Amino acid sequence: MQKNQIKTVDLIVSISDIDLRPDGPFRMSFDFNLEKLKMSIAKYGILNPPYIVKNLDDSFSVVAGYKRLLGAKELGWESAECKLLPEDFPLLDALMLNLDDNLLHRKLNIIEKAMVIEKMLPFLKKDKIITDYLALLDIPANKQNLELYLRLSELDEQIKVSIAKEILSLRVADLMQNIDREHRLSINDLIISLKFSFNQQLQLFQYLTEISSREGRSIKNILNGSEINKILTDKKTNAPQKGKAITTALKKRRFPSLSEAEMAFKRGLSRLSLPSGVNIIPPAFFEGVNYKLEIVFSNGKELTGKLNNLNSLSGLIEVTEFWKGRGNS
Amino acid sequence: MRKFSINRILTEDKAEYDSMSRNIYKRLPGIENFMVKQNDLALEENLDVMDKESLRLIHFNGEFLKPCPGTRRYICCGYQILNIGINCPMDCSYCFLQSYINQPSLRIFTNLKEKIRSIGQFIDDNPQNIFRIGTGEFTDSLALDYITGWTDFLLPFFSTRNNTILELKTKTTFVKNILKSDYRKGIVMAWSLNTPRIVGNEELMTAKIKNRILAAKKCQEEGFVLAFHFDPLIYYDGWEDEYEEVVEMLEKYIKPESIIWISMGSFRYMPQLKWDIKRRFPNTEIFNGEFVSGLDGKMRYFKPIRVEMYSKLSERLSKWHNDLGIYLCMESDDVWRQSFGWSPENTKNLSDYLDNRVRLLSVRSN
Repeated sequence: MQKNQIKTVDLIVSISDIDLRPDGPFRMSFDFNLEKLKMSIAKYGILNPPYIVKNLDDSFSVVAGYKRLLGAKELGWESAECKLLPEDFPLLDALMLNLDDNLLHRKLNIIEKAMVIEKMLPFLKKDKIITDYLALLDIPANKQNLELYLRLSELDEQIKVSIAKEILSLRVADLMQNIDREHRLSINDLIISLKFSFNQQLQLFQYLTEISSREGRSIKNILNGSEINKILTDKKTNAPQKGKAITTALKKRRFPSLSEAEMAFKRGLSRLSLPSGVNIIPPAFFEGVNYKLEIVFSNGKELTGKLNNLNSLSGLIEVTEFWKGRGNS
Repeated sequence: MRKFSINRILTEDKAEYDSMSRNIYKRLPGIENFMVKQNDLALEENLDVMDKESLRLIHFNGEFLKPCPGTRRYICCGYQILNIGINCPMDCSYCFLQSYINQPSLRIFTNLKEKIRSIGQFIDDNPQNIFRIGTGEFTDSLALDYITGWTDFLLPFFSTRNNTILELKTKTTFVKNILKSDYRKGIVMAWSLNTPRIVGNEELMTAKIKNRILAAKKCQEEGFVLAFHFDPLIYYDGWEDEYEEVVEMLEKYIKPESIIWISMGSFRYMPQLKWDIKRRFPNTEIFNGEFVSGLDGKMRYFKPIRVEMYSKLSERLSKWHNDLGIYLCMESDDVWRQSFGWSPENTKNLSDYLDNRVRLLSVRSN
């Protein structure tokens, strides 16, 4: 049972000799809050000593226990007891040691998973990462996902935070890499402030990029326009209502012909004065040719009355023409 | 137009013994050949770039001749696809293969020559049927012909059958091999057409539109029947004038009488394809139109936009000649009616219409 135990040396190390930069070689912590950990360290000390390796310049890198050491440093500790790994300890094994240590007691956020994958890359072939490690990180094992996670390292810090907090959809964040930094940060800010759902985010992103391409305007210009500004400054609406109003306004702008057809159909129906509880539903996007008539009734007499009423509506014969801007005008 | 660069050959199990493979090795001297296992992604083939410089030789065990799957709830043409390979060395932003294929590289089915006899048997056993066969569904019919020698055996094979036409659809000008052939009957040389702007921005590595039409002219002068496909039609500011320019080029160089058909199809795509395209072509403008979900789940232009494009373009083509066999690819009955004033109503009738074009053509050429 002792066969695979790592031979470490217990060592009191000056914290200033330990490399605690956020981009350290084994680091897989992102967007964390140290306060609770600091309270625990202040009360009980560091319960599990961090694992470190010695660098060529005699400084140390943290293998496992980065947050513990950072917490101790913020508490003003000058040194901490650590376990020093052997000098010939393989770097990949050190990375795996930290991964195991993390996975045993917490769930990594998306950015942390991306950090792990990125750090594996110098040691492992992509195929190996896909087959042996993506599932371990709760990521469906395929090449597209591997590439997607690798692309995350290129993202801006603010966007990484939004992803880590699960405010911003991973898909939208990935798509945002194709637009200018200034514009993606504007979209990120809007998503955070109005708490868009993931589906809304995708719609928002598509509408903005496509309106930008159609109209030759920048995304920032669209977002700063009077139409959006009016919605954002409306004191009567809350964040979700503002979000919905923005996507509706952008949809109308993105699909002018379809929106006009939908409005024309609604106008036509309203002019018809259908009996109450009666509705006519057009085919989705007017693509098919079959319309639906919906009648709400509670007894045969009511149904007969509504059918007679419908029968006498002269404009009904034109109903399939309403959306084409024709009929009942 | 320059030939495409092939950097390596990947030969799968069994494929090395096929005669086409041996010819390919001869035609690509000095190109390194790696033996690979069936279905294994080899040597870091990259799906993102679709690895268009690797030629993967495959002894294909599937069906070579299959009806075009068409699409649900729209009228299709009843075409048969001869599956000669998958993927293409050109790079069109809108290409459906980007989502359709899950393996990279240019995949050539090297046992086609050995298998084709059984296809011939099937065709001969059904003399009452007209077989409209094309090789341009999953690859370009001619782009790799100088390497594979497809037309060396496909032309004599199909040309000698009375109930078959072989349509070779391309965006290249690679007609030298075709022109050397003695076979004309039953062979339709077809070009995909688009506006110079779409060709320049969205159809990377393809031949310029004028050069395609000049290649068609040459084939027509040498006795080949022609077809053209305005597919995908892309809607943008100025589309009408620019498609008009293409028709003017046709008018200038092509005699309309020996055109068997001209198809039109507006840009349509499965929703997933949009994201694959945007990843590979972030600056593409093909999604700027108003797309809605169609009855088959594919995204299509909002119906009035499609009708506008079809009716205007067909009107313009009909001014050139009134018997071009214009048809719509994967469209609904009401779009046909609104665009043309008539409709074949269903796939069978459209198939019959196109079969009759084949019969008429063989009467004319006799």
